Amino acid sequence: MPVTFTFGEMLSARSVIGTTLAELGKTHDNLWVLTPDIGATLVEFQETFPDRFVDVGLAEQVCVGIAAGLAYDGNIPVVSGMLPFLSMRALEQIRTDVCYPNLPVKIIGTHGGLVGNGGSTHYAVEDLALMCALTNMTVTSVGDPLMVGEVLRQSMTLPGPIYIRLAVGKKDKVLYEEGQHDVRIGKGIIARDGTDATIFTHGTTVAQALQAAEDLAADGRSVRVVDMFTLKPIDEALIAQCADETGGRFVVLEDHLAYGGLATRIADVVADRGIRLNAFERLGIPQVYAGFGDDEELRDKHGYGLAATVAATRRVIAHPSWASSH
Amino acid sequence: MRDDVSWQEGERPSVAELEERAFELRSKLLHLCGTYEGAVHIGGDLSAADIFTALFHYGLHVDPHDISNPHRDRFLLSKGHAAVCMYIAMSMRGFFSYDGIVETYGQLDSAYGMHPCKVQLPGVEASTGSLGHGLPIAVGMALSGRHRGDAHRVVCLLGDGETGEGSVWEAAMAARSNELGNLVAFVDRNRQLMTSHAEERIAFEPYPDKWRAFGWDVVEIDGHDMAALVKAIDDLPAPDSDRPTVVICETVKGKGVDFMERNLAWHAGSLGAEDLQRALAALEASRQKETV
Repeated sequence: MPVTFTFGEMLSARSVIGTTLAELGKTHDNLWVLTPDIGATLVEFQETFPDRFVDVGLAEQVCVGIAAGLAYDGNIPVVSGMLPFLSMRALEQIRTDVCYPNLPVKIIGTHGGLVGNGGSTHYAVEDLALMCALTNMTVTSVGDPLMVGEVLRQSMTLPGPIYIRLAVGKKDKVLYEEGQHDVRIGKGIIARDGTDATIFTHGTTVAQALQAAEDLAADGRSVRVVDMFTLKPIDEALIAQCADETGGRFVVLEDHLAYGGLATRIADVVADRGIRLNAFERLGIPQVYAGFGDDEELRDKHGYGLAATVAATRRVIAHPSWASSH
Repeated sequence: MRDDVSWQEGERPSVAELEERAFELRSKLLHLCGTYEGAVHIGGDLSAADIFTALFHYGLHVDPHDISNPHRDRFLLSKGHAAVCMYIAMSMRGFFSYDGIVETYGQLDSAYGMHPCKVQLPGVEASTGSLGHGLPIAVGMALSGRHRGDAHRVVCLLGDGETGEGSVWEAAMAARSNELGNLVAFVDRNRQLMTSHAEERIAFEPYPDKWRAFGWDVVEIDGHDMAALVKAIDDLPAPDSDRPTVVICETVKGKGVDFMERNLAWHAGSLGAEDLQRALAALEASRQKETV
């Protein structure tokens, strides 16, 4: 059944995963879905293709190992679960059993960032650092629920593994009009254009960055928002372009450790390519084990909420440029 | 259908011929240890040598000249540190050249390294070496084969020490849950870890009962008795049965070379010229003793 939606409406990314996998199961008879007991939204696939659905129970390591075995035999396995456990409990299986032989296993899951109020056992906040370190791994973090389906569809033709990170996936804002952007793995999306500064972000904080840009527009500030949903390979050309077009003023906002995720990926590109910036600020989770609270409260408490995003963007815009300070 | 990879009538070696090949395998292994300057996991190679021989020269339906044949049996070396013994056993079956192994083992750009790599050596089924990873992958391959309706088996060789890894038991549970009668585990039960005699540190016993408790059919044999290995292979349930089988092979680490047997110093090592001659003489003496 096709997904219907309205721009601005709240939609469950999980239901998009379920629907998309059921759709892909029809066109790919070698597509398997595996889960460690997180199968509620996979029911459509499970009922349509019971022979290609495996729920191993609470056993992330064997779940990824089985996926590797299936992929060695020519199948396309999708492992769907909760990311704190897939990315850490099964890290070695992902690295050694999947990435080392470069097998087309898709790892998709929820609970990326301080979301879901589960406490630090249930927040994946190091996952992007871990996944970006793995040779052969493509790493994505998707905020718009409909993009999840598109990324999954595109991933079918990837020869190697991919990691697809979601927030909670129960209620996500549809950010883009249908066909508004050319969604391609490896390419960032200019979600809103501007010339004074760029906010780079991914996943659940894209909506917050767009709100910050809107708030700043009321003050006459023109802020670009880039949805850098692919962290690896990173869109180097777009980073260079934004430096040129937005005054060399960057804010990186993410629901992940402030060091090790997108900010680090961008800083690496800036250093490696000798891109000259006037100002760079990173907003993300500090080195703490965050406590409980709803998503917005936690972001505010830990310094990367909406107000902090607006303030940081004002600072980078106000920062003196090289030309005037040297 | 497996006709294009099956052993043909009368093609399989006899037990006596298999014993001869196992001797040759150990001898070639010792020669390699005498050639290569680095350490070789010689203890766990020698404990598994008869199992490798029985599998590659009797049990597995494979074609060394058609390594991608979909109907082939899959062999997963979960105790990846015994790779060199597997390479040599496979070379004797015609997969690789023994000279190629001896001349390049462990060297820059060689396909033959300490742990098998599927990318560098396509004749092996998976990249393994980190313990506890082989059986989960084998479960995936068995599921795939079952789904395609193919009659091949997936055979996985584990060390008993390796079964301390929790992922092995996750896989054991998954195999039973999915009724994978096409999955067979061989355990090289040499009762030694790298630095200890296993039972001194870890309560493995009652070992066969652990597998039974996970719903597997358990076969217990002397892993150096070629006739017993052959019988265990002959008696395996049909691949379309619903229970996985584990063949627990009671073995001796360093088997065949008396000064290495059950000796913790020979988990891994290399052989100087003198040691090599001493080891070869011990191997020959061991064969004479067995024959008598």
